[in-house]
Amino acid sequence: MCVCVCVCVFDDRAWYPLGRIIGGTIYPGLMVTSAAIYHILNWLHISIDVRNVCVFLAPLFSSFTTIVTYHLAKELKSPGAGLVAAVMIAIVPGYISRSVAGSYDNEGIAIFCMLLTYYMWIKAVKTGTLFWSTMAALAYFYMVSSWGGYVFLINIIPLHVLTLMITGRFSHRVYVAYSSLYVIGTILSMQISFVGFQPVSTSEHMGAFGVFGLCQIHAFVDYVRSHLNKNQFDTLFRAVISTIAAAGVLTLAVLAALGKIAPWTGRFYSLLDPSYAKNNIPIIASVSEHQPTAWSSFYFDLQMLTFMFPVGLYFCFSNLTDENIFIILYGVLSIYFAGVMVRLMLVLAPVMCILSGIAVSSLLSTYMKQIDDVKVEKKKQRFEGNYFMRSEIATLFVCVMSVFLVMYTLHCTWVTSEAYSSPSIVLSARGHDGSRIIFDDFREAYYWLRHNTPEDAKVMSWWDYGYQITAMANRTILVDNNTWNNTHISRVGQAMASSEDKAYQIMRELDVDYVLVIFGGLTGYSSDDINKFLWMVRIGGSTDKGTHIKEHDYYTPAGEFRVDKEGSPTLLNCLMYKMCYYRFGQVYTEGGKPPGYDRVRNVEIGNKDFELDVLEEAYTTEHWIVRIYKVKDLPNRGA
Amino acid sequence: MPSPMVVFAFILLSYFLVTGGIIYDVIVEPPSVGSTTDEHGHSRPVAFMAYRVNGQYIMEGLASSFMFALGGIGFIVLDQTHSPSTPRLNRILLIIIGFACIIIAAIACYAFMKIKLPGYLMS
Repeated sequence: MCVCVCVCVFDDRAWYPLGRIIGGTIYPGLMVTSAAIYHILNWLHISIDVRNVCVFLAPLFSSFTTIVTYHLAKELKSPGAGLVAAVMIAIVPGYISRSVAGSYDNEGIAIFCMLLTYYMWIKAVKTGTLFWSTMAALAYFYMVSSWGGYVFLINIIPLHVLTLMITGRFSHRVYVAYSSLYVIGTILSMQISFVGFQPVSTSEHMGAFGVFGLCQIHAFVDYVRSHLNKNQFDTLFRAVISTIAAAGVLTLAVLAALGKIAPWTGRFYSLLDPSYAKNNIPIIASVSEHQPTAWSSFYFDLQMLTFMFPVGLYFCFSNLTDENIFIILYGVLSIYFAGVMVRLMLVLAPVMCILSGIAVSSLLSTYMKQIDDVKVEKKKQRFEGNYFMRSEIATLFVCVMSVFLVMYTLHCTWVTSEAYSSPSIVLSARGHDGSRIIFDDFREAYYWLRHNTPEDAKVMSWWDYGYQITAMANRTILVDNNTWNNTHISRVGQAMASSEDKAYQIMRELDVDYVLVIFGGLTGYSSDDINKFLWMVRIGGSTDKGTHIKEHDYYTPAGEFRVDKEGSPTLLNCLMYKMCYYRFGQVYTEGGKPPGYDRVRNVEIGNKDFELDVLEEAYTTEHWIVRIYKVKDLPNRGA
Repeated sequence: MPSPMVVFAFILLSYFLVTGGIIYDVIVEPPSVGSTTDEHGHSRPVAFMAYRVNGQYIMEGLASSFMFALGGIGFIVLDQTHSPSTPRLNRILLIIIGFACIIIAAIACYAFMKIKLPGYLMS
């Protein structure tokens, strides 16, 4: 299962005409894990299809996560805290949402790898042995191979070491742990082709390097201090510190000015400055998972844990140890990041469970001791008068806590069944009489493409549907969910947002045969391409070739985005509009409304009777959700 | 070096702000309260943005995160009631405050969620 083999694979059926070097643009951990499990099971003659391995991989690894959470919380506090934390993470919706069966994405194994690395790191800090530090480095290597979020780890572990130094808790154990982890972990992480030389050249990794240097200096200073008397030491210390500080600042400034150290990349920089993506990189801002988080997302995904999180922090602050400082840092940083981006709620869920486990376990263990208060020893009688109904209050508290935990379970099972249990490719809705209507339009359209178009046909659609078209329709596409090339996506956006003849030039340039759009106006499906259209305009206008596309051209003079008669003429004549609303002007969609009534925007469309010049309609699904158009060839004779 | 409890107080304050959706407020800029027109044409304020789990108005965000913090403080207060040297009256008051905070916070959050998602906990 050599990782270097992947470098040779080149996918020429995605990102036409550029193609994509698979080996250098993905994290291989997920695929290598699935392949390993498949081969081991088949070697044991348990014949299981690789598709089933992939489908059930995420739930398997979430079971492993539960076990690791138990061990991690046990190291931090006690076995009781470990048990409560494990029970909580087993059902927390924030984690279940990304680890359902069938969700084959990096996060499925990445959270397990992350918690494993944290567990090994805590053991390394507590014992200070080379064995645990090396295990931590190996776990870190597994994490780097599985998810881009490893950058969080390589910043939080040095931050922990720095905090220990500042609070005066630096010891030889921390020195051994961090030095080994940094050296071995960095060398291992550079074996992944996607990571390459980033750990020594990008700003996201410089913090770790800086703390490594600081560790060596701190340890050396301690060594020198133990051999000199106080006065000599103080003089030497002050002189050296000032020289080093000046030299360090000078070096960093020179390296940054020379451009040797790359600045923070867009995706991570937007975590520090949330408005950066909104103003500068529309493609990052357009992803719905990247939106900031509202209070209800916190409560929906975590419920009772939102109350217990501060209590857990309080218990950690009450008796500070080296490992408690780590979990405090992890908790505070992940709360902030989860507030910036909804997707990072996934990183917050484990630490919420651990801290809540610590809180619940500490509270319950104090109160349970007070329930059975029959024997009163003589020396405690002096203070007995100060207590009031001690065992009754304790029983009441234990009952209240039990009610909380039961409500948490009910909430988690309700949320999982309502929000995180539906497939995303087949939609369903309730009719007026309560019966369920199934919309299977996506699969209908992809199977039509698969059986009715030539093998080498190229399909243009927005990037959201790239992976689906590749997998189910088996056709070459221009852009997909990997979104690694912003210029190419911007070209597609320009084609969608321009008028028919300009779009035809772009489509001929890219060799497009078919165009696919998603339209929800007939059914009321609101995640369609018209609702995403403004993002296409923004992304299309963000590169050089798209400077003629300006967002305000698509709004009414009053500044509204409208598709009815008041809508802007640029919008009413662009390719996306025409493809979505072709022949829609004659369709009755709702009782009492004129034909051509869009049920998502709730207006009658403005441009109804038009013909398409450069496209011809190839297929429209049963509920008009997916519409496919064929690009006409150039005319035989000149105009 | 500040004492641990001072740092904890700062962290609790930042927890209140972040879970109230302050970053959402800065980026998306929702109104402080929503408005809807009733049958007579008067515009009436709407406290909670309904049917959307990932959207909020500013006031509802702060009110809910205040409830989160209140629940946490209730448990912390209850943890302070075990020392043998506090006088009887103080202990009784602390216990009452602690239980009140916890129960009010839990019921309020349940009510808020029910307003936001009318089908909450109904199958």
